[in-house]
Amino acid sequence: MAGVNGDPSIRGQFAAIALVRWQLFLNSMRSIRGRLEIVSRIFMGVGFTVFGFGGACVLGAAAWYLVSHDQIEALAILLWAIFIFWQLFPVMAHALAENIDSSYLLRFPLSYRAFFLIRMAYGSLEPATLIGLLWVFGMTIGIAFASFGLFLWAAPVLLIFAAFNILFARMIFTWIERWLARRKTREILGLLFFVFIIGMQFIGPAVNYLTHNRNPQIGQFATLALPVERVLPPGLAAGSLVSAAAGQWPLAAGRLALLAGYSAIAFWLLNLRLRAYYFGEDLSESAARVAKPAVKEKVRAGWTVPLASPATSAVLQKEIRYILRSGPMLYTLVMPVVILVIFRFSVGQTRHNGGSFLSRSGELAFPVGAAYAVLILANLLYNSFGADNGGIQLFYLSPARFREIMLGKNLAHALLLAIEMVLVFVAASFLYQPPTPVLFFATILAVVFGLFTNLIAGNLLSIFTPKKIDIGAFGRQRASTVTAFASLGVQAVTIGLATVTVLVARSMHMLWIAIPIFAALAAIAAAAYVLVLSRIDGMAIGQRESLIDALCRS
Amino acid sequence: MSEPAIATDGLTRRFGDLIAVENVNLQVAPGQFFGFLGPNGAGKSTTIKMLTGLLAPTSGHIRILETDMASNPVDVKRQIGVVPEGMALFGRLTGSEYLNFVGRMYGLDPATSAKRTGELLEFMQLVDQPKTLITDYSHGMQKKLALAAAVIHGPRILFLDEPFEGVDAVASNTLKAMLQNMISRGATIFLTSHVLEIVERLCSHVAIIHKGHLVAQGSLEELRAGVESQAPAMQGQKLTLEEIFLRIVGGTRSVERELSWLE
Repeated sequence: MAGVNGDPSIRGQFAAIALVRWQLFLNSMRSIRGRLEIVSRIFMGVGFTVFGFGGACVLGAAAWYLVSHDQIEALAILLWAIFIFWQLFPVMAHALAENIDSSYLLRFPLSYRAFFLIRMAYGSLEPATLIGLLWVFGMTIGIAFASFGLFLWAAPVLLIFAAFNILFARMIFTWIERWLARRKTREILGLLFFVFIIGMQFIGPAVNYLTHNRNPQIGQFATLALPVERVLPPGLAAGSLVSAAAGQWPLAAGRLALLAGYSAIAFWLLNLRLRAYYFGEDLSESAARVAKPAVKEKVRAGWTVPLASPATSAVLQKEIRYILRSGPMLYTLVMPVVILVIFRFSVGQTRHNGGSFLSRSGELAFPVGAAYAVLILANLLYNSFGADNGGIQLFYLSPARFREIMLGKNLAHALLLAIEMVLVFVAASFLYQPPTPVLFFATILAVVFGLFTNLIAGNLLSIFTPKKIDIGAFGRQRASTVTAFASLGVQAVTIGLATVTVLVARSMHMLWIAIPIFAALAAIAAAAYVLVLSRIDGMAIGQRESLIDALCRS
Repeated sequence: MSEPAIATDGLTRRFGDLIAVENVNLQVAPGQFFGFLGPNGAGKSTTIKMLTGLLAPTSGHIRILETDMASNPVDVKRQIGVVPEGMALFGRLTGSEYLNFVGRMYGLDPATSAKRTGELLEFMQLVDQPKTLITDYSHGMQKKLALAAAVIHGPRILFLDEPFEGVDAVASNTLKAMLQNMISRGATIFLTSHVLEIVERLCSHVAIIHKGHLVAQGSLEELRAGVESQAPAMQGQKLTLEEIFLRIVGGTRSVERELSWLE
């Protein structure tokens, strides 16, 4: 091959990828939306930096204290905290991480070693890894200040612990990536993830319940769990330090070797996955497609919504279908009821302090659940074209006006909120107590106010800062960071205003006054909504190129 | 002569300093099967986007079936069907749900929309996958579905951006039969394609755009005559559309001379 001198070097390929990522970053700043996105990310970066360095200082101080006061075994608590954060944060805050697609690398003459290293290096450049490394570093410094002798052993132990965390997180990610590649496994994983998240919410109440009921089984459970904890990576790292401090070097070395063994297993599993990927494993939907027996379908007529145009009815029906087929979206919609259940059995439910806030003011369960329902609904409103992807073109090609399309989407969202309100009312009445008639009407009017305010902001942001999403998959629903910040602001104002009004009116024993206040706010918001909707055609036409570009981009 | 089905006057589109399309004056008569050709980046997609309302012209006018696009876009959209570059599909609907949805968006009543949906699915041989989401369709199936959606409201003009790209011979045959059928019933079809053999076989008239400028327009015979008047074809042979195209856009460069290192 003319001009090609031997195999390309890994360093050169690393540099080429770094350069292309830098160029992508620069190119993203060509549009105003891109620049706003960068500004939002800078804010987020500052937050992560503070969190990372703050955590490192706290963990360093804690490690110093524990080692200085001869409580080295308690270092296990810190290491477990780091481990749990490191592994769970990327899953919980997938919206904040940037996962690169490495499939494009495979077309180049890349050795497997180079591919593996590149995947590791760029895949690890995420907040959890950087923060986790900072925290481990903080702990190491804390130990060094407390005992230099222990530091000499702690440095390699914590280094291997950090390597284990990196390998383990990457290993988990690559396996999840495999399951996410196909719709069916993706949705099953989504369901499991949801169950996991719900389960996490119940840990607090469960611990609280067991603690306050002095169950003798807790002691038995702890007796059984502790030996298991000691053979898991964070326990092994802490155990190795304890043994080293006690001068039991063979035991310390053995535990370190076991920790290294865990790292090796994580490496092996990661390697297994990446090798399959490198050697051409096809994870696409088409690879999984199998011929199905022919079944002729009876086509049913679409919905006709009274007073709505055919286009509005069609969009409403399409939106409902989309939501029903989006596992993750559906799961989040039941969250307001779950929250009421959690509060019912939550921390603070003790005889000493008179119970939790909601158990003392049960009539407020309905407004609290309603406020949470409005908050959850914002997920759908602020990027309402995001899931349409290329379908956005149809809205511009069809003779339907954008106000009809937007109204269809808004009606679908309002319908969902209405269903949620019924569920919240039933749950609040059953688990706590039904709201008084005055509080009921005040809440309904506040929700109407919140709905219209969110619809106004949501419709505008959907047109001005759209982002392509996949509502069927966890981790693929991220709206733009600008939208996230704007949504946060609107929620703070609307829910804050409603909360202050209800609490002040209630403390003055004039709750009824909240009804005319919310009625007035709802009327103003409704009028503003109609005004914005009447002008949405012009805005959508003005933004058509950027909207189509953002949603049709592959 | 009757009013053209599609007429543009000084159609121009700029993207910042880049002039993608400049002063294009197109005339497409009713009932014509019109091929719009050009090399990559010549301005084909930009032009078709402007003709269908997906992109605003920087200057110039578009008249579709005697209606001004800028002042009456909704009236124009009612009468046209489009298969755009990205196909405009909703991945999480099934084929029948999507067609039904599109029918309603074009103002068909629910019963008519459902009836036509069934017929189109059968015609396009998509009835075998009633519960399959569009996102799980093959590329060819998606193309057929996009074409079905473009005709569900019985448009008088059909705009097709690369309709045969990625479509197998069987599906391509179905699409061609349908398009010929529409032409025989008086519809006008405006298509862009890189497959010049298909254009030559289907289209009666052709326009060629190059670097944003319309460089040729007319029937195939008129284009052939124009090119042959400057450089005649070999005796007894007719120039193919590909040869006409290459002569007009000047695409006969010496690869060997420029890429001498390519073994």
